[in-house]
Amino acid sequence: MNQELIEKMVRDILQEKNSVAGTVSAEKSGVTLTVADYPLVNKRPELVKTTTKKTLEEITLEKVMDGTITPADVRVTADTLILQAQIARDAGRTTLAKNFERAAEMTKVPDDRILEIYNALRPYRSSKEELESIANELENQYGAVICANFVREAAELYARRKKLKGDN
Amino acid sequence: MKSKRFEVLANRPVNQDGFVKEWIEEGLIAMESPKDPKPSIQIVNGEVVELDGKAKADFDLIDHFIARYGINLERAEEVIKMNSCELAKMLVDPNVPRREIVTLTTSMTPAKIVEVVSHMNVVEMMMAMQKMRSRKRPTTQAHVTNLRDNPVQIAADAAEAAIRGFDEQETTVAVVRYAPFNALSLLVGSQTGRGGVLTQCSLEEATELDLGMRGLTCYAETISVYGTDPVFTDGDDTPWSKGFLASAYASRGLKMRFTSGTGSEVQMGYAEGKSMLYLEARCIFITKAAGVQGLQNGSISCIGIPGSVPSGIRAVLAENLITTMLDLEVASGNDQTFSHSDIRRTARLLMQFLPGTDYISSGYSATPNYDNMFAGSNFDAEDFDDYNILQRDLKVDGGLNPVTEEEVVTVRNKAARALQQVFEKLGLPPITDEEVTAATYAHGSKDMPERNMVEDIKAAGEMMERGITGLDVVKALSDGGFTDVAQSVLNMLKQRVSGDYLHTSSIIDKDWNVISAINDQNDYAGPGTGYRLEGERWEKLKNIAVAIDGNEL
Amino acid sequence: MVEINEKLLRGIIEDLLEEMQVKEEAVSFKTEKTSEECESNEFLTEIGEAKQGTSKDEVVIALAPAFGKYQTKSIVDVPHKQILREIIAGIEEEGLKARVIRVFRSSDVAFVAVEADRLSGSGVAIGIQSRGTALIHQKDLQPLSNLELFPQAPLITLETYRAMGKNAAKYAKGESPNPVPMVNDQMARPKFQAKAALLHIKETKHVVTGKNAVELKVNF
Repeated sequence: MNQELIEKMVRDILQEKNSVAGTVSAEKSGVTLTVADYPLVNKRPELVKTTTKKTLEEITLEKVMDGTITPADVRVTADTLILQAQIARDAGRTTLAKNFERAAEMTKVPDDRILEIYNALRPYRSSKEELESIANELENQYGAVICANFVREAAELYARRKKLKGDN
Repeated sequence: MKSKRFEVLANRPVNQDGFVKEWIEEGLIAMESPKDPKPSIQIVNGEVVELDGKAKADFDLIDHFIARYGINLERAEEVIKMNSCELAKMLVDPNVPRREIVTLTTSMTPAKIVEVVSHMNVVEMMMAMQKMRSRKRPTTQAHVTNLRDNPVQIAADAAEAAIRGFDEQETTVAVVRYAPFNALSLLVGSQTGRGGVLTQCSLEEATELDLGMRGLTCYAETISVYGTDPVFTDGDDTPWSKGFLASAYASRGLKMRFTSGTGSEVQMGYAEGKSMLYLEARCIFITKAAGVQGLQNGSISCIGIPGSVPSGIRAVLAENLITTMLDLEVASGNDQTFSHSDIRRTARLLMQFLPGTDYISSGYSATPNYDNMFAGSNFDAEDFDDYNILQRDLKVDGGLNPVTEEEVVTVRNKAARALQQVFEKLGLPPITDEEVTAATYAHGSKDMPERNMVEDIKAAGEMMERGITGLDVVKALSDGGFTDVAQSVLNMLKQRVSGDYLHTSSIIDKDWNVISAINDQNDYAGPGTGYRLEGERWEKLKNIAVAIDGNEL
Repeated sequence: MVEINEKLLRGIIEDLLEEMQVKEEAVSFKTEKTSEECESNEFLTEIGEAKQGTSKDEVVIALAPAFGKYQTKSIVDVPHKQILREIIAGIEEEGLKARVIRVFRSSDVAFVAVEADRLSGSGVAIGIQSRGTALIHQKDLQPLSNLELFPQAPLITLETYRAMGKNAAKYAKGESPNPVPMVNDQMARPKFQAKAALLHIKETKHVVTGKNAVELKVNF
């Protein structure tokens, strides 16, 4: 149960942190979303914001043409992923919810770094120390605690199951 | 003397197919291998310490991953003790609601779930599929590719596929470095046909993610997982790297599903003597464990392997069914040439076509098979009328609809012209008017003028270096006078802001509504319930061009 | 030091195991024609561990574990010897040198080529399996990516193998050649996939984890 406990703690902290971040999110009022709030676009549009705090309505063709809308505006935020995780959980899909929660953490990691970390997790690419250092980076630099533990778990099992650099 | 009868039979297409006898040691057995493990689970302090006869100390990476993330442990010990045949009956029984049985099936181990479906014949599996599919409305997916990676042809074929009813479209490449062009052409073409069609480009994992992040694709599918540890390694991944990748997609607001299929472990040389279905069950559990919303399976590119052994096509239906039992979206194969025999390939299709799945085919070749760069699909563009008539004969919604020549020509032309503008505005090698006309009327790449491939490949590489994104495509379309298509591409980009389409079995309809297993739950409970082909949709499917109107005689 | 010892030990055990495996195979081959052909067909001699190449004008051809040794023909019975001859001729036509090695770590065509492109002075390599599947790979690419892939072994002709060699050489020279035209036969799968799997299973039996590639001398 240890792992689940840790995950629950992380989730709670993450939710707190997100509501502190200040968007008008459901957590702030202590409400957890359910399947009745789905799809957010139709049922709870006020909760969906871009990374630059724009609403969906503000993403228009005109604004794309005049350069107001940039790639950063067509990206999901950690807040939205947490809301979708709540809906997934209510629908009975716990593992999907957990995936969304890991994803919420990853929104802060830049594209290039995501690709590099993914490649580092592939077989025979990294030493145990390299994976541990990635885990620390995820935790310390991006506050991605669940992801960090996921990578640590991989490091430990890769060592046992011979998937580290030089094991082939 | 030689028998004339046998001579005729020997020349039948079916005898061109490859068949092999079961070879248990090498896993050339579809289901129920004597070497398959017996179901078991032991949980100590919330941790799985034994799974399907294997102690924790002997777990490989796949066992670890499934044990840690893939099984709902609350009822696991209760379910393992339940009679597998009784569980199979519950799956078939329309009086047992999907909601209720999903709590049991998601608590099973891989060996248990295989034991349950092994009690079923194909008709029972189809009945179960009708209930267990997570989205109420069935649909299907297209392949749009060609031998020369001709971008104009991709755009035109994608537009046509969209109006023929395909809600998802997948492309891939003949030459890898063409990928950015194929993704771009598919996006522009599909959105010209119908706003809301989801598109993807099948590539090496990291490249596929890169294209998605740039907004040139709308989702991803070819994220392969395998059922034995050495094959997973040859696939250049581990469950953890794949799990990380799954979250990476979600973190960019991109829908994705995994891919697996019976026979891949045999094909890649490490089946460890287990049956194809047992190994595939492990893949389905890996998918569940990674928290991915869905899976493409049904043997896929390995269909020649289960297709060659006894009960192989039954195993393929069984793997689709198991996917739905784990509450995952299923894109159910029927996507690769399977037989020389039209009888055999139709019988194989009916297994998914009759009960309906989330995507009956994944995908159906929207080009003639000679242009299909997935090495050919089970059904292709030349079968469109057969498929429509099958829907009409049986009153079954297979996801497609009849279209007129006029509609098709118009939409193909518009897509080709839209892409012509995009290429011009983005400074890519020009598309000539001659190419636009050829693509408008083409059946396949044999009808297309040749392009300078070296120049295209170079420009495709530069397009990535310049960092062209979906927003640049929107601008180019709008600048080129295709405001409606520009708006549709923008709407697709907006999907990744709300994340609604990240949920299980999502599609986007023509009015930009996300339809998924949450707001379109499959509520099948016997005759008169669940999805029914009726009303406007049935009128549309009935209406084939060749039917004679008695009033006009 | 411990690590080296362990590695050494593993290497010795693996070599031993491989020898044992060879003997086993020899027995099971008794009834098959290939055993005779193996003897008359010994055109490949192992000449020690494959070294890191330094010359920019070489393309490495990497053979999967069984190629030309335990198997001698492709899935459509094209002799391995002829296949290799055409690839080499293609490379030499472009004025470059071909170096042939055998890879043991994997029977997967991509990983066979990946091990080779790291050893290739130009960074370009061709990987080929016994059944005939081949690809051109370059050092900086992800393993499962490639410059050109020839996935449908039953459709690859000797001319294609020559063109493959030629194109690999052009990539090594830094050129961007027109890719070898793709041939597509959607009926190859239903006809050949099961046989392809059987051949691959037999090839995979000769994979040796941790064993470095060896250099081969080709005697035509």
